[in-house]
Amino acid sequence: MNANLAVITDNLDYLLWGRLAQGEPGGVVLTLLMALGAAALAIPVGVVLACAAWRYRGGVRRLLFLWAEIIRGIPLIFVIFWLWYLLPMMTGGSLPGAVTVTLALAWFTSAAVMHSVLAGLQALPSGQYEAAQTQGFSESQALWFILLPQALRNVMPSLLGILIALLKDTSLAFIVNVPELTTVAGQVNNRVQIYPMALFIFIAVIYYLLCSSLGLLARRFQRQAV
Amino acid sequence: MLTFDWQGVLSGQPLQWILSGYLTTLWVSAIGMVLAGLLTGLFLLLRLAGGRIGRGLVATWVSLFRNTPLLVQLLFWYFAAWNLLPQGLRDSINAPHSGSVLPGDVWWLSPEFLCSAWGLAAFTSAFLIEEITAGMRAVSPGQVEAALSQGFSHQALLRHILLPQGLIYAWQPVVGQLLNLMKLSSLASGIGFAELTYQVRQIESYNAHALEAFAVGTVLYLLTGMVLGLLLTRLPVARQKPARQARTSTQGEPQHER
Repeated sequence: MNANLAVITDNLDYLLWGRLAQGEPGGVVLTLLMALGAAALAIPVGVVLACAAWRYRGGVRRLLFLWAEIIRGIPLIFVIFWLWYLLPMMTGGSLPGAVTVTLALAWFTSAAVMHSVLAGLQALPSGQYEAAQTQGFSESQALWFILLPQALRNVMPSLLGILIALLKDTSLAFIVNVPELTTVAGQVNNRVQIYPMALFIFIAVIYYLLCSSLGLLARRFQRQAV
Repeated sequence: MLTFDWQGVLSGQPLQWILSGYLTTLWVSAIGMVLAGLLTGLFLLLRLAGGRIGRGLVATWVSLFRNTPLLVQLLFWYFAAWNLLPQGLRDSINAPHSGSVLPGDVWWLSPEFLCSAWGLAAFTSAFLIEEITAGMRAVSPGQVEAALSQGFSHQALLRHILLPQGLIYAWQPVVGQLLNLMKLSSLASGIGFAELTYQVRQIESYNAHALEAFAVGTVLYLLTGMVLGLLLTRLPVARQKPARQARTSTQGEPQHER
């Protein structure tokens, strides 16, 4: 049992922040950085797309839905693979692996954010928009001042659900060997090889604590919304 | 800039890899779905009939598998839990026998296949339990009371009253979860399971036709999802109209892993 614990305590700093001192964050720190970065990209993009789909009902909305449908239809690993190969071709240089995975996660997540926010916009009583129009609000003003603030508050629980999924999805960086929590645990496991149980339970606990606290937050928002 | 050479993927060894990987993906998804269904039924019964301890167990199961990444779960089953099985059992699974090959030359008696199917099933069951419970909540309480007063056992209540109606109410999210299982089987490449994603990456290191291989893989997953979705929404259960509008929305927790 002590040896089981030792495998964690010996590697604790590596699991928590990787080689942060040398300027290469890893472990839990990199997991959080990637999740936050992807969320910071995906939420604004998703909200803008939702507004576009709300405003332009015809072809634009169908195109956006098709785009979201395709993204939803393929495994996230493939989105990561595509960006992994296409981004260097398009930019000519090579991006750090963590950035590529973050962009892939953001791209993937923005489709979910779009659907969620659009549902929130459509759920508002139509009187809200009509009243704004009679008061001389332009469409974008009505969206910005009247509709979005209400819709975003209502879809907060579902956005937090998307964030939880995003946090868990950072583990896919394991497949392309970007040193976030799952990858470093795999590395330690390959090196030590005798205590996989303790190691994987430990990182599962970390993910569990992060995700379930977001879940608690979502439930609190849900109660307020009712 | 982008030139595609499909010959490097759709012939010879790479084509064989893709076909074998695709069949493996289909098999592990099918077996995973069946297992997930069995686990879900078991846990729904436990939630209904198991009293406080039963409900606590189910809640723990659901919470554990929903709040940790599937990839970590697969690594756990493969690297840690597998070694807890008795040595004799593991040896006999690894030994070659006649019944260990499924049609299409897919080996199912291997640690990779079993851990993948089990891991996918356990993960998916945690989502199915919640979706179907939400569907069953739409069944009017009077029906449950009537059944109990007629002397129905918990098992009969679930089997004849709650599950048939709950499934109709919750069919759409259930289909979503099953499609998700098929897509998520791609994560099993992380434990070295030779399904489609694994084989596609193998082509990349074999003849560097990465983009063509990814394109083929992407199309195969998309098409399989579409066909499977069409099939599942054409089943009899999907065509029955719910008696009333279900409040099956699990809004706030759409924690679908992708």
